[in-house]
Amino acid sequence: MSAAPGPVRHKGRGPAVSGWVAPRGRALGGRSFALHRITGIALVIYLYVHLGVLSMLLIGESAWGDFLSVVTAKGFLAFDVVLIFGLLFHALNGIRVALVGSGYLVRHQRALFWVATAIGTPLLVYAAIHVFGGA
Amino acid sequence: MRHDAHVLIVGGGGTGAALAHDLSLRGLGVTLVERGELTSGTTGRHHGLLHSGGRYAVNDRESAVECIEENRILRRICPGTFELNDGLFVAVEEEDLEYVDAFVDGCEACGIPAQRLTRDEALRLEPNLNPAIKLAVRVPDGTIDAMRLPLRFFATARRNGAVIRPYTEVRDLLVHDGLVSGAVLLDHVTGKEGEVRADIVVNATGPWSERVAAMAGVDVPIRPSPGVLLALRGRMCNMVLNRLHKSGDGDIIVPQRGLSVVGTSSWVVEDPDDLTVPEDHVERMYAEGSKLVPAVRSADRRAAWSAARPLIGSKGADTGRELSRTFKTFDHKETDGVEGFVTITGGKATTLRGMAELCADVICRKLDIDEPCRTRETVLLPHSAYYAAAAA
Amino acid sequence: MSTTDTRTLRVYRFKRGDGAEHFDEFEVPVGPRMSILDALRWIQLHRDPSLALRHSCLHASCGTCGVQVDGREELACVSAVRDHGETITVEPLANLPILTDLVVDVGEFFARFPEHPIIRASEADGYVRLEDCIECGLCLSACPVAATSRHYVGPAALVAAQRLLEEPRGADREDVLAWADRPEAAWGCHLGFECARACPAEAIPAERIMALRRELAR
Repeated sequence: MSAAPGPVRHKGRGPAVSGWVAPRGRALGGRSFALHRITGIALVIYLYVHLGVLSMLLIGESAWGDFLSVVTAKGFLAFDVVLIFGLLFHALNGIRVALVGSGYLVRHQRALFWVATAIGTPLLVYAAIHVFGGA
Repeated sequence: MRHDAHVLIVGGGGTGAALAHDLSLRGLGVTLVERGELTSGTTGRHHGLLHSGGRYAVNDRESAVECIEENRILRRICPGTFELNDGLFVAVEEEDLEYVDAFVDGCEACGIPAQRLTRDEALRLEPNLNPAIKLAVRVPDGTIDAMRLPLRFFATARRNGAVIRPYTEVRDLLVHDGLVSGAVLLDHVTGKEGEVRADIVVNATGPWSERVAAMAGVDVPIRPSPGVLLALRGRMCNMVLNRLHKSGDGDIIVPQRGLSVVGTSSWVVEDPDDLTVPEDHVERMYAEGSKLVPAVRSADRRAAWSAARPLIGSKGADTGRELSRTFKTFDHKETDGVEGFVTITGGKATTLRGMAELCADVICRKLDIDEPCRTRETVLLPHSAYYAAAAA
Repeated sequence: MSTTDTRTLRVYRFKRGDGAEHFDEFEVPVGPRMSILDALRWIQLHRDPSLALRHSCLHASCGTCGVQVDGREELACVSAVRDHGETITVEPLANLPILTDLVVDVGEFFARFPEHPIIRASEADGYVRLEDCIECGLCLSACPVAATSRHYVGPAALVAAQRLLEEPRGADREDVLAWADRPEAAWGCHLGFECARACPAEAIPAERIMALRRELAR
């Protein structure tokens, strides 16, 4: 219509990727999409951190011992539970996405989310008990 | 083939669209301005009936003949933009039966194919009909996509060189010494004013015709006559359903995708911009519509709105229904001594192409241009081509 | 009958002349069945005639009046004012360039569709019926993938492609499959499902996109 294209409104604030997680007007589908991205990125970051930390073993036993006392503190264990939530969510929602994305059970995408929740919640509780109990 | 003539069309409804198309096919330069989105006036709001002319076969044969001719032409030049399932005129009550013979005779006289059906045949075709109906007559009605059909005219016109400018409002006409030479425009996209010059300015603004004509210092006998329409959720019929009687409120149900549109009513106003939606009229749509299809009564309201028809006639009429529904082109040189200004008005959505042909003939005569009309046979581009044709 | 009930409408404004984006606030008197479009047209008539709007059919059939109301995609003509709060924010649809005020560049929307002209009558059910999709763009605005990707064709275009496979009406099946089998087409969907939620017609974008993928996978 005119020479230069006009401005574009997008869903979030600031950079365009905020449009992935913008909450206004979103429903279950959009929110699980957002959470899948957040957990995916978080798990990748965690993987690098984890590998970096493991490399500390190369330094020696005393460094490893200091490290152990940090990560077995209660506060840190809570972070472990969050991590496990992220793992479980990403894995179970990932199965939902793989199924629906290949054209199976599309009409039941919401029901699949709740099934995943039903499977994941007892697993998370079990893991949390053992994380805190085993310390 | 290009002629050294520029026509400014004011009004982006169906009439303006068809006129822009006709004139650009004849090789004239065309600019069309519309203050809002294309078809945002009356054209976009109508119930979408592709008229067979049946409704006018008894009392207004001129209109009926116009309708059936244009109905056939539109099917040829715009394939794919209609729901073509025919229509039924249904006798619901005993009094309706008195009307049947006149109706069928009228259709035959106007060249409208009309087939008598028994009650059972009608119910087989349309199971949601009121089981108490007496009989029905089948005619070639259909459903138009009210916005996309004119958009096909705009698309083709644009491809052929017409400049189409929505969101551009006419603030005033340039008039001097009994000659209209152009218009002062306000562009709502930029917010800036400008001027455009033309050999002829055409007033194709429907119920706003009086307002634009006043800018040229002339008067046109137009009464904006609104009516209420009601869209219900659910596709309750595939054929257009009409009540078999003399015109009345709520006597038509037009299917449109997943909706059923019931219409309409009629009153007269001064200002076509400030239309209300009287709830008692909406209630009347429910009441009359459910006489044809009982399920109407309990259907969900998707929307209720008003659209103003441009009806020609002398001032002083009350309800608007008794005014003629034919269309006219007013050459204001003849009627008011003002050169360079023409008003085209009246008519229905179905007759847009025919109205434009008549007006284009007048314009070419005024400009001493000898070009035949080519719109009867030219197949139109798809509506989406309008956007692709930008800056052509 | 006068109403003392009013709402505040915060409306996005942009004119190419000065190029500045901002919001204007208007106090609008509200009636019992007023739609967001009614309120916007009231503003046009009584407060600011320069407000540019799209509308045509006034009954959710033409698809031109799509806007974001409080961040959620709706057709203004069937969105009730009473369903919203005291202050209502109205913005144009997301993910398409803005022409002016609440009007987006529809050409950009149609440019994403498969090349075959969009014939709009279907005979699939034994009678003729116009396609469900009313090309309103609400799905594209709601889609989180479209938020970051200008090249993702979007749900409506994929629905059109799937409909061409279901009912070709002259389209070439191989052409449509080739068009769809690209990362920015059928494989660009990451199952946000916001399209199905936003769709005001019965085009069911999410389901049709998955049906399209099943076709591609065959």
